[in-house]
Amino acid sequence: MSENKIKTDEKPLKPAESSGWSALKALVEGFATTAKHLARKPVTESYPEFKRQLPERSRARIVLTRDPDGRERCVACYLCSAVCPVSCISMQSAEQPDGRRYARWFRINFGRCIYCGLCEEACPTSAIQLTPDFENIQRDILTLVFEKKDLLVDGCGKDPSYNFYEHAGVTTDERGKGEHANEAPPVNVKSNLP
Amino acid sequence: MPTLKIDNREINVPAGTKVIEAAERLGIMIPRFCFHPALGSVGACRVCAVAFTEGPVKGIQMSCMIDAQDGMVVSTTDAEAVDFRRHVIEFLMLNHPHDCPVCDEGGHCLLQDLTVAGGHGLRRYRGLKRTHINQDLGPLVQHEMNRCIQCYRCSRYYQEFTGYRDLGVMGIGSRVYFGRSAPGMLESPFAGNLIDICPTGVYTDKPSRYIGRRWDYQRQPSLCIHCSLGCNLTASARYRQVVRHEARPNLEVNGHFICDRGRYGYAYASIADRPRQAMAAGTPGPIVDILAGAREAIQQTVEKHGPGSVAVVVSPRSSLETLAVVKEACGQHGWTGPAAAHTNRQALNRNTAVSCLRPELAVSLAADTEAHDVLVIGADPLNEAPMLALSLRQVQRRGGHVIVIDPRGVQLPFDFDHWAVHPSAMGAILQALIQEIGGHRATAPDTPATFDITKLARRLNASPRPVVVCGTDILTPHEIALAGDLARALRRTHKVAGLFYTLAGANAFAAALLHDQPVSTEAVLDRIEDGGVRLLVAVEQDLWREFPDRKRLQAALKRLDHLVVLDYVDSPLNREAGHFIPTQPLYESGGHWINQEGRLQAASPVMAGGEPIEITGGSDHPPRVFDRRIPGDEPLAAWRAVAALAGEDEADPAPQLKTALADFHPAVNLSTPEATGQRIDLEAIAHDLVESGPAPEPAEDDAPADAVVLLLVDWTFGTEPLSAMAPALTRMEAAPVARLHPDEIARLGLAEGRPVTVSLNGNRLTVPVQADPRMAAGVMAVPRHHLLEWQVFGETRVIVKRSQLKAESE
Ligand code: SF4
Ligand code: SF4
Ligand code: SF4
Ligand code: SF4
Ligand code: FES
Repeated sequence: MSENKIKTDEKPLKPAESSGWSALKALVEGFATTAKHLARKPVTESYPEFKRQLPERSRARIVLTRDPDGRERCVACYLCSAVCPVSCISMQSAEQPDGRRYARWFRINFGRCIYCGLCEEACPTSAIQLTPDFENIQRDILTLVFEKKDLLVDGCGKDPSYNFYEHAGVTTDERGKGEHANEAPPVNVKSNLP
Repeated sequence: MPTLKIDNREINVPAGTKVIEAAERLGIMIPRFCFHPALGSVGACRVCAVAFTEGPVKGIQMSCMIDAQDGMVVSTTDAEAVDFRRHVIEFLMLNHPHDCPVCDEGGHCLLQDLTVAGGHGLRRYRGLKRTHINQDLGPLVQHEMNRCIQCYRCSRYYQEFTGYRDLGVMGIGSRVYFGRSAPGMLESPFAGNLIDICPTGVYTDKPSRYIGRRWDYQRQPSLCIHCSLGCNLTASARYRQVVRHEARPNLEVNGHFICDRGRYGYAYASIADRPRQAMAAGTPGPIVDILAGAREAIQQTVEKHGPGSVAVVVSPRSSLETLAVVKEACGQHGWTGPAAAHTNRQALNRNTAVSCLRPELAVSLAADTEAHDVLVIGADPLNEAPMLALSLRQVQRRGGHVIVIDPRGVQLPFDFDHWAVHPSAMGAILQALIQEIGGHRATAPDTPATFDITKLARRLNASPRPVVVCGTDILTPHEIALAGDLARALRRTHKVAGLFYTLAGANAFAAALLHDQPVSTEAVLDRIEDGGVRLLVAVEQDLWREFPDRKRLQAALKRLDHLVVLDYVDSPLNREAGHFIPTQPLYESGGHWINQEGRLQAASPVMAGGEPIEITGGSDHPPRVFDRRIPGDEPLAAWRAVAALAGEDEADPAPQLKTALADFHPAVNLSTPEATGQRIDLEAIAHDLVESGPAPEPAEDDAPADAVVLLLVDWTFGTEPLSAMAPALTRMEAAPVARLHPDEIARLGLAEGRPVTVSLNGNRLTVPVQADPRMAAGVMAVPRHHLLEWQVFGETRVIVKRSQLKAESE
């Protein structure tokens, strides 16, 4: 047998503390506190009567934003759909006549989305963003499947300035070779001059 | 056999192996951009740097440039080497655009992978990026030159490997440019391989541009069925649509590459007018009912007219599974057939080739490249079996010699000798060659003196490794057998001599094993015409497109009591048929194919089937309906449908397939998985089908002086029925023309550029004339082009008299 004893720092109660009088005192004090709070204005906010403005970074209903010049930001690169842990994003990429790659259709199944925000993190164009609007409840599960027209919003969302096609080297109606950020004019390959 | 140590592991490799390959054998992938097993080393990219710590070489060196030697100690993880590689990557990225999200290479990009692996993330260089203007390279390959890292793989492949000159490198210093001297269509029919070999997104697949990422594709090993070579490829499907083919390396068949017909020919599997609904006399109905109806019609015909009144034709493109079940059904029930060739000559040609292919003579496409001298007879490689031309190009690159004896204006991307001889002289030339090789002085056949048979025979005889390549499209069975004799004669004097036939149809070899005495559609039509056959089952054989006499075919079909069609392509016959049953292309059914050298190969199913989402959604969001069934999923694998037609009841057809495959032919053994990928047992094939002996009586084929031989031939693009449905490839096609020698045009009183009308037995074919000085005299070559109604004369080799040709004024 071991000599070890379990030590406690429990002190024996003094006679005054274990008396009936002290029990009564505690009871009255408790009721007094309750009575005080009954008369006070509550600190909890009643939802849905009260709707608090949530921080910008909170993660709920997803939108597709636009460039500062109002054109669709999403280039249908499939990074968000690849990273989505529940595979709720699907799309079809295509080319617009102006040379821009875009999503011909884009679908998010909010019946599946877990609002983890990984799509937003993966998006190279700041197109896909989570908004604080968490009130996305529907009775019919099919109405939780959002198509591109339901997702696309006006405006840039949280990133007011980024325009992917200003940086990407591909030719569009707006910029040719050598006209993107940080690009030199195109080389004349037929010249031998340095 | 040097022994060296890489990352503390010892390996023994054959002399001449580069260190980078030696490491690969150990499973260590040293980064590389410019090194490619088919193209070799150049040391252009510097990303394969490793540290040599001991032995004959010391310090940081390029592992792709250094031969493995005894006593070498190599470290791939050496800190200095890792740092070196990191800097190389950073350097290669200096001018790289900010493009990955819109780059089709993204997701399978070697540059992306190595950039991430090397740890380069943030751009430190503050200077401007050099830019280039892109070129339009035609409908198959998209160009985005800014993504280039100057590995030179493309120019080495295009110019050295394939032998075409229109794409290469230009400019100097940091401005080097890879492209054409002027924008325009790439000339090489192997250009699509640029997409596979470029380690970046400079060349990407144009028909599937922006269609998706590789990680989203359903990818499976598959086969090309657009000619008999059976090149290996990886097929990708997405949203129930086949979207891309990539070459799948098979060092015994196609090496690392495929041709553009094979790469882009897949569209037929997903096009909008692919038939997906079973029909009875053109009216759609549930497939079970239609199958039952067809089975009943067969039973009734058999009861009334006997089992022989039911005939089956099947495509030499169909899978081995389909051929086996069809053969079993015909054998069991006594039905006529199966016919798996159009004309008697074609059937006999094919079976002759297969029976002449002795195991000791057969060579693979890859082994062809090791030949020293190749005699190509009656074959037009680039048009009939494109990858064969690439193999022959390698023969020439290694210092070998290629001679082509063919009446057509054969073109190949390298220097070769061409004897443009009249088809009727081919047999005599072969016979003379055989005699010369056997040591007898041959009587010179009636050919121009420039074609020196004795010299050629000596050349072949002196060659350490001769190969005879023989086509089966324009020749006669006798000549095909002679080609086999020639190879055998050469083998008597050589340890190694090869024989290589090209056939008509991806599974033509297996089709040749259906019977000892081949049956042709022509023979079946004879039986229909004499009333012996009353019901025809056409299995994946679109007779309307492919049978060489459409008028006769239609008249014969009218005489039938009943027509049953099973197919996956749209055809007027589908609606005419009493019962039409949609079948699955190989992407859905998978299966086995035997290529022209007898190699048994497998294709896995890539997807389940059903109408592509692109179509069901009308190019917009997929429809918001949910069902347990996929729309358009009715098509059955052809073998299942045939089993259902032949079976007594709706029993499980799987055991039936198993016995059918086991009974197919003793040469084909599917019971062990190892058999797939290997040549079948050629020894087990009867080799006495066709007597090659002396030439047969000169048939009508021996052209009278005032006649020409009209050959209906293959072109790389536009004649193979399935690939001709691919929109990208139709843009590669040339318009159909009749090619003749300029002297011949003058002799016949025709005019270049003007149409000529050929009238024969009341049938007419009108086609513009084109002069081709490389053609033989007395020959007219017309493509079996899908834009031309060439199905008029009942044969693909006919004699036309001068009086039957009429120059049109138009
Ligand atoms: S990651 Fe962004 S740009 Fe890419 S597909 Fe998703 S939303 Fe579009
Ligand atoms: S080539 Fe590779 S690294 Fe360059 S943009 Fe394309 S995917 Fe990105
Ligand atoms: S285009 Fe591609 S293959 Fe050619 S040099 Fe540049 S990176 Fe290499
Ligand atoms: S050579 Fe023939 S089998 Fe090979 S890819 Fe081309 S068409 Fe297909
Ligand atoms: S792979 Fe060795 S230098 Fe490019």
